[in-house]
Amino acid sequence: MAPKDRRHKEIINKIRNIMKDVGDDILVEGIMPSLEIPKVGYDNTVWSDDKRMLTIGNKTVQIGPNSSKKIPTFAQYLVMANAIRKLLDEEMESTIRGMYYATLSTVGDEKNQQKFWNGQDDSDDAIKAIELLTNVPREEFSVTSKPKGMISGPITLSVGGDLIDCNLGSRATSQLIPTNIRDLEIVKVKADFVMVVEKDTVLNNIRKSGFIQKYNAILLTGSGEPDRATRMMVKMLNEKWKIPIVIFADADPWGLGIALRYKIGSESLSYDSDRLVTPNSKVLGMMFSDIYEYNIPKVARLAATPEDINRANDMKKKPWLQDKRWKKELNLFLERKEKCELDAFFKYGFKYLADIYLPNKLREAGVI
Amino acid sequence: MTSKVTTEVLEKGTKQVKTILQIPQKQKTKIHYDKKAESEFFVDNSALAGFTGERILYMSVRELIENSLDSCEINRILPSIHLRLKLLDPDNDLWTISCKDNGIGIPSEKVPVAVCSFLTSGKYVEKQQRGLFGVGLKMIAAFSTKDTDHPLRVWSKSDEESEYYFDLRTDIGTNKPITLFKKNVRNEESQIESESGFKVEAVLRAKLSPVTKNKIYDYISQTSIVNPYAIIVFETDEGKVTFKRRTEIMPVPSREVLPHPSDMDLKTLKKAILNFMNQKTTLQGILCNSFQKMSNDKAKEIIMKAGLAVKQADRHDEHELIKVVNICKHTKFQSPNTDHLSPIGEKILSVGMTSEYSIILNKEMTNSGSQSHLSAKILKPALTAYSSRICVVNNRPTIVECGIAYGGDIPSFKLFRFANKIPLLYDEGSDVAREVISEVGINKMGISKKVVKEQFSNVETKSDRTVEYLPIHIFFHICSTKIPYKTAGKESIASEGDLKKYMKSCLSDLYRKVSAQIRRELKIKEDENKLRLYKHYIPFIVDAISESIKIDSKKLSKAFQIMAEKFVSGELTNIAKQIISDSDNNKIQVTKKKKIDNNLDGNETTLNNFDTRNGISKHGNKIKLTKINVSRKVTKKT
Repeated sequence: MAPKDRRHKEIINKIRNIMKDVGDDILVEGIMPSLEIPKVGYDNTVWSDDKRMLTIGNKTVQIGPNSSKKIPTFAQYLVMANAIRKLLDEEMESTIRGMYYATLSTVGDEKNQQKFWNGQDDSDDAIKAIELLTNVPREEFSVTSKPKGMISGPITLSVGGDLIDCNLGSRATSQLIPTNIRDLEIVKVKADFVMVVEKDTVLNNIRKSGFIQKYNAILLTGSGEPDRATRMMVKMLNEKWKIPIVIFADADPWGLGIALRYKIGSESLSYDSDRLVTPNSKVLGMMFSDIYEYNIPKVARLAATPEDINRANDMKKKPWLQDKRWKKELNLFLERKEKCELDAFFKYGFKYLADIYLPNKLREAGVI
Repeated sequence: MTSKVTTEVLEKGTKQVKTILQIPQKQKTKIHYDKKAESEFFVDNSALAGFTGERILYMSVRELIENSLDSCEINRILPSIHLRLKLLDPDNDLWTISCKDNGIGIPSEKVPVAVCSFLTSGKYVEKQQRGLFGVGLKMIAAFSTKDTDHPLRVWSKSDEESEYYFDLRTDIGTNKPITLFKKNVRNEESQIESESGFKVEAVLRAKLSPVTKNKIYDYISQTSIVNPYAIIVFETDEGKVTFKRRTEIMPVPSREVLPHPSDMDLKTLKKAILNFMNQKTTLQGILCNSFQKMSNDKAKEIIMKAGLAVKQADRHDEHELIKVVNICKHTKFQSPNTDHLSPIGEKILSVGMTSEYSIILNKEMTNSGSQSHLSAKILKPALTAYSSRICVVNNRPTIVECGIAYGGDIPSFKLFRFANKIPLLYDEGSDVAREVISEVGINKMGISKKVVKEQFSNVETKSDRTVEYLPIHIFFHICSTKIPYKTAGKESIASEGDLKKYMKSCLSDLYRKVSAQIRRELKIKEDENKLRLYKHYIPFIVDAISESIKIDSKKLSKAFQIMAEKFVSGELTNIAKQIISDSDNNKIQVTKKKKIDNNLDGNETTLNNFDTRNGISKHGNKIKLTKINVSRKVTKKT
């Protein structure tokens, strides 16, 4: 039996065990069944000094059909678990949206009809619950999301057995990072460092300037909020291939949040930090202080929204942001109430970002 | 050059203007000071009495029913009213409206005046009645005379006489009745079967829009709620609806009372003096005899304070009398008595609330197109409650009554407003009752907004007031001889004086009264919801399980269903699982605990096997630790 098939069987059995427990509760024990799931969210996220990342705490929630609110949720989880089992049985692959459609249904009689899912968010939550229940990441269920991470530079990937050289055409284009990570392998890396940027537009600008060739770097972006495959790629490059990682995001609380996803993880995926987080990566910019150091023209600065202010105040309270450097940056932001995107450097000319700002920051950090 | 020309033109212009202006100065208009007959005034200003275009038929129905009810209640006759509304001539919008009652009737010699002459009424006394102004029936007569050539047909049978029939019209220019025909009606022609009674039939020109039609239905339905002791038969071209008599109890009729001194003015005082004109009494005597709560001593004190000499009452001039009025305004008297008010009362309103009639229009498709016919639907609520307050508003005693009907057949929230037993159907938004409902929180019922919104999440209401999610009917009845109406249309009540305060305390009181019952109703509703959810979701759960593992799905489904029912009925009380963290390996172990029902043959020995863990649990020996879950436990990664 191939190792992949064995893993398949393992996961299917995990799901069958859940089903069996529920069935036994009803038939044998005569008690209300209940699923115990670790609680995900800010109140069950714990900072681990050891691992230098966010991890999930001990709190759990009980999902059983014992209240009007939980009856549908319980049914949704079991239906989703069964759908995942079928997907594995059939050796097929699906996106999270595909799982939503596969389980779409209506509930009730004509008088009281409602939808089984109120939207894809509900089915996404159910998938997450099955991940937590089985302790298996959804990629191993062959459930993926639409790829949006991009990579460019001296790295060769093997996707489903075919080789993709991301250095080919790396002046003009980037490769999508596949989300079906089980079919993905890194074959060869010949870079001095990996630079992660927040947005694909910025990546395109840097790539076009010949940055990859000049500094022998890999450019990578999650196109905003990074998906799991992108985060995993970063982690693998750093921990398996020992390549230094630097991160650049916009100088606003949102951008800072995205940069920290890579470095310390997130509250919503804290249960999966071990696979996703790269604690050794360095967040180099764009710092709030850079706005003033590089004297970004007033027109290119944006006024902070009340939402930004709330976010920054929230961040300031987080135990994992008690570092002096971050405190100083956040206080500066709260004081000046100004934010700035990396694109603002274009005001100084299209090459300024890649030719001046980034090399300066990299030199300061001793990366080049 | 050009400037000169323009000035010339301007000068010419002004001259012309002057000549024009001089004309009216030469011919002075003569103003005639005429007296307008009451009838003409009311016909010209029909809006004052609410008779405007669309609402003519609605107002007619109202006036006729109110007159009939008053006429019965005055002698404690159980009312039996028959109202007909039929289209006579569709091309000319002519309607025949007729109303027959078993009230006291009108003596034959008074009939023409009582029916046709405006501001003639037997109701100009200090007590609560529906009609007060002597306008309603006259309006119908005048409109009939104005718009049609049909006479107003009247049958009347009062106590002393046999039945009389009249053909009447109004001389609008003089406010006098025209009797076209009058005769004593014999047996076979008789229209009134009861001992006494009154029937009127008029032809009116009016349009009836669907909205107004519904208002008429509402009016009659709501009237029957506060008059459950009346039989009301309502007949239209679309069918006949009978509102049955649901009780024989009638409210204590209102009695005429003397005015309260704090409500005294120059007019009332002079009228009182006039009444004693021939008896040569002193002012003190008149005060005692003409006003309530006025003792001899009190009257003496007031006259002293006014510094008036003792003399025959009619010798006092207005300057002296106004002093008496002013002093009365500043003197404290006992609260006015309420004999002149006739509240609905708990018994009667409860009967009305527990059998709430509403008229429905059924549409039936037949070969010849759609046909609609009327029928009555009776709503039976699950519970009702009543509360009342006596208060003084605008110096007049006022009674606030409030009722609640909840659940059962009641589909959704509705506010019912009554003033002196008359339903108020328009302008609900600006009525004080609205404010009262907004301002009294439903937490007084011991239920939270969250629970209500969860339970009734399917209710479609634009309002954010939580109470409007509930299937509840709230009734407010205000009775007073002077209702603080907001507008001349008499459709909404203003928040005057302490009225709102009393209404709020009344409603709060009710909320508290029903709180236990409503919570029980909510629990029942929640249980129903749950059972429905189980019914709908169990198949999904069973399918998911039986597709994944080998299991008898029929047996599973049945067992689950039975368990769900037991759980909802409270027989199965267990279910929380308990988490015990084991510090040794930092694993979360999942156990299930279960409160054993007395009749459940729980294996006591199991307890002993897990003695050590028993110490951890807070629930002592009632707990049976069934198993330590292995497959479902989630271990923290290390």
